[in-house]
Amino acid sequence: MNEEKNRQIYERYLAATHRLGRIACAVTLALLLAAPFVMGAYLGAMPDLGAFGKGFASIGLVYFVSCVAEYLIYVPMLGAGGTYLAFITGNLINMKIPCAVNARDIVGAKSGTAENEIIATLSIATSSLVTILVLALGVLLLIPLQPVLQSPTLQPAFDNVVPALFGSMACKYFRHNGRIACPTLLLMSALFMLVPALTSSTSFMIIPSGAAAIGLAYLFFKREQTAKEARG
Amino acid sequence: MELLSKLNSPVIYLICGSIVLAVALVCVVFALRAYRAGKAIGMDVTKMKRTIVASATFAVLPSVGILLGVIALSGSLGTPWPWLRLSVIGALHYETQVAEAAAEAAGMEKLSAAAMTPRAFATIALLMSVCIIWGMVFSFFNCKRYTRRLSAGGAREKGEKKSSLAGFGDIAMTAMFIGLVSAYLGSYIGGFVSGQGLFRFAGSWLPLAVALVGAAAMRLFLWIKERYNAAWVDSFSIAGSMLIAMASAIFLGRLA
Repeated sequence: MNEEKNRQIYERYLAATHRLGRIACAVTLALLLAAPFVMGAYLGAMPDLGAFGKGFASIGLVYFVSCVAEYLIYVPMLGAGGTYLAFITGNLINMKIPCAVNARDIVGAKSGTAENEIIATLSIATSSLVTILVLALGVLLLIPLQPVLQSPTLQPAFDNVVPALFGSMACKYFRHNGRIACPTLLLMSALFMLVPALTSSTSFMIIPSGAAAIGLAYLFFKREQTAKEARG
Repeated sequence: MELLSKLNSPVIYLICGSIVLAVALVCVVFALRAYRAGKAIGMDVTKMKRTIVASATFAVLPSVGILLGVIALSGSLGTPWPWLRLSVIGALHYETQVAEAAAEAAGMEKLSAAAMTPRAFATIALLMSVCIIWGMVFSFFNCKRYTRRLSAGGAREKGEKKSSLAGFGDIAMTAMFIGLVSAYLGSYIGGFVSGQGLFRFAGSWLPLAVALVGAAAMRLFLWIKERYNAAWVDSFSIAGSMLIAMASAIFLGRLA
């Protein structure tokens, strides 16, 4: 009885999340697309649509493909609420995805469950608010902070935020998944060593890397299932 | 120079700031709704509080990195626009590249305040906005259907105990994340080994060394957690490991 009531509450929550998410996406999109024109009006010049078309053909299409891949890969990790928020607030690879995965891991939530949906949404909303706050404070204190943040001494630290993040995450996730992680890391290292130009497209290389890891995971999973069945 | 002061004027701050504020409100609404729904369905409140604390501490350092992106772009685009871009939808590694490419498309040799015109700025701003909106567009049109299809798959898995894929969902998610991390670590290894010519081992080793220090620091945090049964360490382990790794970059950077 209680389970049925919880299911109904969750279903209602999900339906409202989709409604709100869509509204939030539509409003944010409208605001973001209007901003260049409003700023242009203030500055006394509108965007050059010819140059815009040329630019979009050269760089926009690349990011379109990247966005399709990101969307397909990350939605299963983020759930509904997390997806809307993450794609509105951005910075997925360097913050939102690791943050949501870390929160899920701490709490022990299983994918596709109500708990995972709630935890991912809380995690992404919190990290987005922290970023908004840090950036707002940073912008407010830009003049006094600039010499500190741009000091040559601290520069290597800020240039290496992403390696620091992924090194820490690697220890946590590779530890109990060595047989998936080691071959995948070896494969990716070999690819980057043989084709160094790929380093400029690392975000695209997540696709073959993820596919290799999932493929390996599936192989081991099937093997374990077969062994279990054989044992009866 | 006059244009740069206009780009930093209160009017532009107001335009960009109001969008940032709107997005902050969306985050607050989603967080409150999720928290209430979690309570209503009987989730452990401690778990939700731990999620909030862990995510907040986790986000601080990458946010400072993102702030540097704002500073980097503020010299040519003013402060409010990069502030908006990196608070909403943008991504640190995209923005600089897109801004540079957009400047070229707008007829500038490179992104610089000296060569910036109002028309070029409006064009760059529009290109920066349009290039990365697709995730939001897909979410608007497809998120409901996609997540429902995923849940239906999960429900089928749970319903059919003998299904060949039962229980694979979590493993696949972890594997995907391992793939993501492997791609980045592989790029650091490849960059060091072949970054300055195939197998010359003359590329930058700093990102790889920083990643290794991060991993070692995380191992220490995990050891403390397991040795002293201190679950609270989890909330700070990523932020702590990153801080140690980033601090090591200052010293290692002198050797690189």
